[in-house]
Amino acid sequence: MVWTVARKEFVMLLRDGRVTWSAGILALMLLAALVTAGLRYESISAERSRAQAVVDAQWREQGEKNPHAAAHYGVYAFKPVTALSFFDTGVTSFTGVSVWLEAHKQNMAEGAPARDSTAIARFGELTVAFTLQTLLPLLVILLAFAAFVGEREQGTLRQTLSMGVAPRTLLVGKALGAGAALALFLGPILVLGFIALGLVEGGLALLDNALALALLYALYAAIFLFLTLAVSAVADSTRTALVVMVAFWAVANFVLPKVAADVAARAAPTPTLVAFQKVIAEDMQNGLNGVSPDAAVAQRREQTLKIYKADSIEKLPINFQGIVFSLQEQMGNAVFDKHFGALSETMAEQIGVYQFFSLFSPRLAVSLASMSLSGTSLHDHEDYTRQAEQFRRDLIDKMNQEITFKSGPNQTDYRAGPDLWAKVGTFAYVPPSLGSVLERIAPNLTVLVLWLVAAAVAALLAVRRLRVTVA
Amino acid sequence: MRSAFGTVFGLEWSLMKGNRAVWGIVALLIVLAGVAAANGGARLDAARTLIDGLNADELQTQEALKSTVARWEANPQTDPPTVTSPGTVGMSLLGHYAALPPAPLAALAVGQSDVMPSYYRVTAHPAYTFLTASEINNPLNTLTGSFDVGFVIVFILPIVIIALTFDLVSREKEMGVLGLVAASGVSLASAIFAKTAARAALLLAALIVMAGVIMLLGKATALLPLALWFGVVVLYALFWFALALAVNATNRPSVTNGVILANVWLVFVVVLPAFVNVAANTLYPAPSRVALTTEMREATEEADEQAAGAREAFFFDHPEMAGQAGNADAYFLQVLATNAAVERAVAPLLKEFDTQAEKRDAVVETLQYLSPAILTQQALAVISGTDSARFAEFTRQVTRFHARWRGFFQDKIVKGERMTAADFEAIPAFGYTDGGLAWPAVLKPLAALTLVTMLLLGWSAQRLRRFPVV
Repeated sequence: MVWTVARKEFVMLLRDGRVTWSAGILALMLLAALVTAGLRYESISAERSRAQAVVDAQWREQGEKNPHAAAHYGVYAFKPVTALSFFDTGVTSFTGVSVWLEAHKQNMAEGAPARDSTAIARFGELTVAFTLQTLLPLLVILLAFAAFVGEREQGTLRQTLSMGVAPRTLLVGKALGAGAALALFLGPILVLGFIALGLVEGGLALLDNALALALLYALYAAIFLFLTLAVSAVADSTRTALVVMVAFWAVANFVLPKVAADVAARAAPTPTLVAFQKVIAEDMQNGLNGVSPDAAVAQRREQTLKIYKADSIEKLPINFQGIVFSLQEQMGNAVFDKHFGALSETMAEQIGVYQFFSLFSPRLAVSLASMSLSGTSLHDHEDYTRQAEQFRRDLIDKMNQEITFKSGPNQTDYRAGPDLWAKVGTFAYVPPSLGSVLERIAPNLTVLVLWLVAAAVAALLAVRRLRVTVA
Repeated sequence: MRSAFGTVFGLEWSLMKGNRAVWGIVALLIVLAGVAAANGGARLDAARTLIDGLNADELQTQEALKSTVARWEANPQTDPPTVTSPGTVGMSLLGHYAALPPAPLAALAVGQSDVMPSYYRVTAHPAYTFLTASEINNPLNTLTGSFDVGFVIVFILPIVIIALTFDLVSREKEMGVLGLVAASGVSLASAIFAKTAARAALLLAALIVMAGVIMLLGKATALLPLALWFGVVVLYALFWFALALAVNATNRPSVTNGVILANVWLVFVVVLPAFVNVAANTLYPAPSRVALTTEMREATEEADEQAAGAREAFFFDHPEMAGQAGNADAYFLQVLATNAAVERAVAPLLKEFDTQAEKRDAVVETLQYLSPAILTQQALAVISGTDSARFAEFTRQVTRFHARWRGFFQDKIVKGERMTAADFEAIPAFGYTDGGLAWPAVLKPLAALTLVTMLLLGWSAQRLRRFPVV
């Protein structure tokens, strides 16, 4: 019986011009998004690896220099693009793409693409994820809003129920029918998406993430499907069912995320750039634990002299200047850790606000999870800047060690060459494993499962009290 | 005797008065706009506080430097302190905050203000060193966008109008009222126009209340821009009314009308903007920031290697400054020379960023006529002074100002002069010259909206004249 109901629903939906038109718009947008984003990914990815190769070569071929001069020259760490960024660009339009790694300073990532885009990009960028998050639920609503209430208005609901079909069977059958119609519309695009993933560089490595994404969006569609079926079962007219679901869609998709953004920015405000730089400069000058950098250097001088049993730094077997550089670097790093850490915590608090709002808007939960699975979330950006900073610290440390142990006391004209530069290696971002991503998005997934359970229960309760006549 | 139009208008009005759903929808619109305006008001306050803070900071630094110099001038036995070095002052100790003051209606639309900097810290280094700096923001917030009044107007107002009008005619027909109306001898078209007019009047009243709320909470007190803003909003609303009427005039069931209007909304507000953006970015892509980074590095390296040559070239460009004796800022001379070489090397690429951006904006300006939502969004941003054109103009003015500011220190460095206490008073200060409202950028969209609305109304009238009532 379930299959009969499902087949009837499926056939009717395919014959409905409203549904095919809406599905057409969705399919067209998905296709356009897939093609444009795929092409963009290819060119950006090639460009980034080319740039990284160029700066790495610049570093290796910088000639003979004092290691500290080389440290000031530094390198750049470019942000690699993950293959799934063509599916969901996440926050990447609004985050920098390169960090300059130099002595004494933790720099911020620069060159966010948003500044080089048009103002209407703010309506939303054409990506597969954006299209799915926005349009997929609307299509699901159109597939299901008339399921029960439409039949009630036409009088066919009474006939069906009088034949002894259980309301629950009807619910499952209609859900299956609508799901099959959805699968028919989106199946080809899903296949194309996987083919595209196979074609782009590094795509196959992310196959697991892509499967998780497919499941994620299926879950999202199912939530809207059951919600719409529940509303359709209790609504007094198709008109009401449509208005209620479209209103929910608009609020969940457009209003709540923006409200979340504003509440987040107010609840845990990020410092202005000027204020941020000012406190860092102050801490750099005064030292974190009340010991000024000058005092710390003096202290270290005493200690070093004692260790080597020397009475002046000229008599040390090492170059004390290297020790000073290292000490300054350590003190600076502690200051950076404190302030960049606090900034990161503030942003984490802001994301907490989004998590809270996702209790009321499944779209928020889906978009947070989708970005993480695509490697384009704020967390991924922070991972990249953290790894870049670690690379910087290792690089500077190698330079300072060289000065300390390879140059003579107070020697300023020491020159190192390609051998030392080669020891630094190249920056290579290590993306998080699927396991750690899943751990990270566990709250989002939990919220979505809760939504699905609530929607399914609501639908079951709603069909149990199915009225057969128009009020 | 009242005209048929008046009678229907009055009846519809009293029907709506008793309809809780209608009141709920209208109240929701006003509340949302109020929340958005209050939000904008807070944002505006924060922006002003920020600028005041920057100015105070700068003044404090400048005063401190000046008094150090003054103390030395009063008692010049010791070596001159480093703050008398124009290079040290212009390239490391002092920066001038050039700020873009928020326009009077800035609270009503975030526009590009969360992406484009509204202040730069101008130094004697090349302009590209500070033009790329950007404010700290959670990128997730920027991506999601703020809940501003512009959003309420462009996104939500049409939904409210669709909810009020999607079954304007179809419902009457489904309830069998249309036949009765036609039988009473009243012109159907005029009865339906009266009904639409009543609903439009209600919404207009709501918009007026909304504008009051916005004025109060969004601190939008400039009357002329506000009137213009209101004009754009009303026309946008009328467009959606006309569209709903036209869809109704195609004689389909209410639910189908609803689906059609929802899809049209989607196409205008979501689909077309996304496509227009892709079109602009594909036709005129920005050059690569990444390539700029590597090119800049290459150029710096080259300039450093050919330091002597670069210096000669610099003096070749500034012959009046060559051969000055007793230069205290030899190091900064070197920096100036290197900077000039790098600037020369990257100038073509930097220029390409600007020309491509201009071309992209031109594409948007043409293609915006595809969607009333884009038209309205752009016009509202222009009125609020948060459109990309104003930020681009700000950057241009800062770039010109930078030449003056840097020139001040550069002259002294090259001539080997020291900063005197009096010099600190003579450092140039930036002031944004507001070119006033870009009328064409507002009036053209207004004209387009009016035209489309008239066409839709005319077409609907035509259809309604031959409308099957049963």
